[in-house]
Order: sequence, then C-alpha cells, then structure tokens
Amino acid sequence: MPSKSQVLWMYEVMEKARYYEDTMAAVYMEGKSPKFDIGAGTVPGEMHLAAGQEPCAAGVCVHLRPDDAVTATHRPHHVAIAKGVDLKKMTAEIFGKAEGLAGGRGGHMHLLDPAANFSCSGIIAQGTSPAVGAALATKMKGTDAVAVAYLGDGAANQGGFHEALNLAALWKLPVIFVIEDNGWGISVSKEKSTSVPDNSVRAAGYGIPGVHIAENDTLKLFDAAKEAVARARRGEGPTLIEVETYRYYGHFQGDPETYRPKGEVAALKAKDPIKRLRDAAIADGTMTEAEADAALARAKAEVDEAFAFARAATEPAPEDALTAVFA
Amino acid sequence: MTSNRILPMSRAISEAIAQEMRTDPSVFVMGEDIGAYGGIFGATSGLLDEFGDGRVRDTPISETGFIGAGVGAAMSGMRPIVELMFVDFFGVCMDSIYNLAAKNTYFSGGNYKVPMVIMTATGGGYSDAGQHSQTLHGTFAHLPGMKVVAPSNAYDAKGLMATAIRDDSPVMFMFHKGLQGLAWMASPDGAATVVPEDTYAIPFGQAKVVREGKDATIVTLSMMVHHALDAAEALAKEGIEAEVIDLRTIVPLDRDTILKSVAKTGRLIVVDEDYKSFGLTGEIIATVAEHDPTCLKSAPRRLAVPDVPIPYSRVMEQFVLPNAKTIADSVRASVKGA
Amino acid sequence: MTDIIVPEGLWDADVTPEGIVSNWFFADGATVSKDSVVAEIMVEKSTFDIETPTGGVLKHSVPKDGVIRPGTVIGTVNAG
Repeated sequence: MPSKSQVLWMYEVMEKARYYEDTMAAVYMEGKSPKFDIGAGTVPGEMHLAAGQEPCAAGVCVHLRPDDAVTATHRPHHVAIAKGVDLKKMTAEIFGKAEGLAGGRGGHMHLLDPAANFSCSGIIAQGTSPAVGAALATKMKGTDAVAVAYLGDGAANQGGFHEALNLAALWKLPVIFVIEDNGWGISVSKEKSTSVPDNSVRAAGYGIPGVHIAENDTLKLFDAAKEAVARARRGEGPTLIEVETYRYYGHFQGDPETYRPKGEVAALKAKDPIKRLRDAAIADGTMTEAEADAALARAKAEVDEAFAFARAATEPAPEDALTAVFA
Repeated sequence: MTSNRILPMSRAISEAIAQEMRTDPSVFVMGEDIGAYGGIFGATSGLLDEFGDGRVRDTPISETGFIGAGVGAAMSGMRPIVELMFVDFFGVCMDSIYNLAAKNTYFSGGNYKVPMVIMTATGGGYSDAGQHSQTLHGTFAHLPGMKVVAPSNAYDAKGLMATAIRDDSPVMFMFHKGLQGLAWMASPDGAATVVPEDTYAIPFGQAKVVREGKDATIVTLSMMVHHALDAAEALAKEGIEAEVIDLRTIVPLDRDTILKSVAKTGRLIVVDEDYKSFGLTGEIIATVAEHDPTCLKSAPRRLAVPDVPIPYSRVMEQFVLPNAKTIADSVRASVKGA
Repeated sequence: MTDIIVPEGLWDADVTPEGIVSNWFFADGATVSKDSVVAEIMVEKSTFDIETPTGGVLKHSVPKDGVIRPGTVIGTVNAG
C-alpha cells in the first residue's frame, strides 16, 4: 500500500496530466475552426493526448528516482510530467518556441530532457531497446538505477519490442517494460491485431515475470511496479507489466474515430481512474477532501503557468534549424 | 466518355486500386488502418466495403512482418499492395524492402518476380517533425531493384498506380500527404484534377513538361512541382520563361526529357523536398554534366533540405523547405548569372 | 432549379454548429448527373459526401473552405 505522501503525489501528478491534456486539446483547436487544418493554429502538427492513461504514468514513476531513465512513446505528456520533465520548457517545445526543450526542433513527439532522464520517440516500440541500453549502462557503472520503457499495446507486435525483451532477460538488466493497453492501435482494436488477449503472458517466452493490471487500477499498478522496480534494483532482471488503460481522445486530434463503438468513451469516463483514486483515498482516510482540492489547485496552477510561459516565449530564428545537428 | 469529375489525389489512388482489384483477383491490400479507416491519408478509402477483409487486410503494427509477408505473397503469385503509413517508418522494415523485395529477382536470375507495390506517405510542411515529414526519394532510388514513383496530381497518381500494380517488379509508390486533398490538411489547387472514370495507365519513365519555357529548366517532382509552377508564374511577369519538368518517376528516370530541355534553356535548377547531399538533385545535375557540360550557360543550382532533420517549429521548417520564392530567386540568379 | 442542401442530422450541431466545404468534385458550371457525389464537407474532424438529387448544370453557392451549417444550400443544379 502506498504511503499518504505517495498517494498525494500520484493524485496530484494525475490531475496535472489530465488538466494538461484537456488544456492542450483546447489550445490545439485555436486557429483550426471551422476549418480543421493540421498544420495551422497555435500548436500545429499531430497531437496525441493521453487523458485516461494517467495511472500508467503515476503508478510507475512514483517509484523512480531522478537517475532512473524513462523512454516514452508518441503519446508522451503524462509520462513526461510524472518523470519530472520541466513543464514550462516542455510546453514551450510543443508551441515550437526557442525556450523549448529543443528550441522548437523536436515538438510534441520528441521531448528529450537529460535533466529528467527522459526521452520519447514517434516510432512505435522503438523506445524499448534504448531503455535496455540505459539499464545496461547503469549495470556497467555499478549503480542500482533502473530504466522504464513505455509502449502501447499495438507496439507489442513490433519485432523491436521482442528483441528488447530477450536482450533484457538474457543480460538480467534492470528494466521495467510498461505496456499501456488502451485497446486501440489507431483504428485497429487489440483483438484484431494481437494473437493473445493479454500481452503480459508474453513475458513467459523470455523467462521473466509478467503482470496484468485490469481496469486502469492505480493502486494495483503501484504494488506491481513497486515489486518490479525493487527486483530490478536488486539485480534480478526485467519485468513486463501490461496495464489495461483508457484513451479518452482519438489517436490524434483530428481523428474522426468512426471506428470506435458509440458510447465507449462515456463508459470509460464513468470509471475514471483519477476520480476512483480520489474517492478511495478520501474514503479510507489517506487523503482529506481539503488536501485533494489543494493538490488539484496546485496542479492546475502549474499547468496554467506553463502554458502562459509557452505563449509568451519567443519564436526561434529560422536559421536555428541549421544548428544542433551534431554534438 | 470524357469526364469532368475533379478528384483529390487520395480518391484517385483508391479508385485505381479498386479497378485493378476488380479485374485481377491476385491484387490485395495490407497495412495499418487501411480497412475501416480507409488509410490515414485516404488512399484505400472505400476498398473494405467493396472487397471485404479478406482482400483488404488491416495489419498489426508489424511492418517487418507484413511487408516481408508481401514479398513472400508476391513471389507466390499474388500482387500485394502494402501501405507503409509514413515513409519515415521504413527504418523498422528496411530489410524486407531493400534486401528481399528489391533483390530477389536478381538473386534468382530473373526467375522470381516480386510484383508488389509499397505505397507510402511522404513530405512535410505541417509541423510533424523529423520522424513524420521526410520524403526520402533518394534513399529508395539509390538502392537498385525498386521502381520509384512520386506523382504530383490526381490524374497522374491514378495512371501511375495502375502501372505500378501491373508491374512485375517492386514499386515504391510515394504520395505526398499535402497533395492528397484531405479535408484536414492544406493542399495546392493543382493537386486535385479531372480524373476519368475509366481505367488508364501512365508508363513509367516519362517525365512531363508541365510548363514550357526557354530561359531555364526547373526539374522537380511531387509537391515541389506546385511550388515550381508558382515560381514560374511569378517569373513570367518579369519576362523570365522557366520550363518546369515533373519527373513523375525517379526509377526509371527520364533523362532524355531533362537533357532536351536543358539543351534548349542552358540553365538548370533542381528542386527536391528530400535532403540535399547524395541525392536526387545531385543525380540530375550529374546527368547533365556527364552528357554535355557545355550545354550549361551558368552553374546548375539545387534547392533541397539543407542536410538537417526536418524541424518541428513552423518557422524553422518553412526555412528548410524549398518554396516558390526560393525557387524563383534561384532561377533569377541563374538567368542573370549572379 | 434544385438546391443541394447540407442534410439536417448528419452531426450534432448543438456541439459543433459549423463546418466547411472541404472539396468540390465538379467545377462551377460543370454538368453533373443525378446522385453523383458532388462535394465533401468537413465538420470538426469528420467528413461527409454530399450527393446531388438531380442532374444538370452545377453552380457552387459556397466555395471550397466556405462555412456551412445543417440546411445550408451549398450549390444548385439547373436541369436546363
């Protein structure tokens, strides 16, 4: 069971991530209505939002230290927030501004922050092997830091993921693979793309523990991740965790979602994981109503401040495109 | 029957595929989100409804698996069309493409055919950053064994797709996202064209002179054709007549049309949305230099992405992509001998 | 003369009141046949094909990218 401070931390991180995505969804539509042009507006390009997937970020990252590495996916904001990526610089990056993490070169799918030991990539499953490499580095350096690789359920069908699992298991590396199973690979459902209903069984093929977390349950994930991280720090090797999570928005903002059964999102929202954590923690006395409200207010203020910072930030010079290619 | 129907490029491509599927039962389509979704960029819209999920197969996100399977199916009597959603994703499946599809005909002394189309989306200009905005024309054209097609408009796309499907060799069919006429992405006016309902095929290796001129030759393809035409329009007002050549296919490359035009104009500007070095622009210039370096009245010029990953930020991305203004500037400098 | 009208009930207009004409599939002044798909409209993220109820000479009333609502007459067909 998490401590009071851990519950408060997870709750605040989840509210922050949720409010961040909902704010981003609104900002993203600025300049895109009534004509939706993906290249227009305050924030252009593809936008993949993670509202509903917050437990995956908070329930795992609560156990991590600054020297632990995390690789995330094309849907990275919630994990970046939980890992402590600078929210102002991250938001400025998504606005394409000079003050952004990469000065506007990377954008929303390419948030890389050495200060938080965080990176992500827009190519499916391709963050898994770099996490294995980060774990190899800590082992070679003799520290007990761990690495966490996030991937989606669709990514579990990529060859790269299986190669990463085998390598991590073979070399007993301190890696935790976290599959965020939101049921969809863009428009193709998990059942139409994956030969097994539960990807955690695939761990058996590599001789490592596999854990399945049903119903986007933050507290159950907390327990599983705690054991996986401890096991990794003890030098006992990798763990695979699949979390059944929810995707409230489309694959990308602009996705018509015609493939999605009517009422699916409403049904998922009725089981919202943030509300469930809040209600449970207040009910069992871990957190008071006032503490929860204060955490929510802090989270919103921090997000608002980050967006204000990004708006006020400066456009990069066009020629800046030519720098930072090489170290 | 003459048609007056105007189609966006996405619908022209899906119509060509549908027509080939009706007449040839060996043609089928595989890829991510190509079924109910109709392809993220609309190139397979309507196919699932007409042909069912046996011939229009949504795949897992497993490019190595389904593109490799395309190779095997093609060598076993089928004519697969596989969609690689973004060309940038070639990284995870390149072995299937360049070591298998592109080489198995050669490795069998011509005894195996690999009649497969790899259809893929290219191009930037809408802030999708460095893993979703490349064209990579030169990467695929450089490797022997694949034909490479990059249409600039709906009419050409339909005819070139028909040819691609009927071809017994692997074909990279590279369509630019910004030419597809998608409701949610800006598209130049000239990309949607009148498209006949009937089936027709456009042979590979025939570039098209899309605007005639006597003062300079602009050689280009795909999206940049439209920017080149805008530049030529602006230059005409200054009395400079630029000829614009749309390559349409890079492999095979219609070198004759380029040489003929440069022999007439004496000036060459090559425009590509791909990276500058070691690519298409250098190849075109080398073609002219090898044939007759004396035909050039001024040094050849090239406009392409200046060897940096495609940046996300709008101002930086627009800075690295060629546009009508930079093309016109380049032609002007070439003509005035600057 | 027959109007080509954006049908009511294609989408929830209480949530998203307006959309646009995203594509015209025939030029202004073109001759079209009955039931041809003549235009595509986009509302927020979804697109819908619009057919002409009769054949004849098409006239655009709303240009490409022009704003539409349910009931908007986007064009007319003159049977001539």
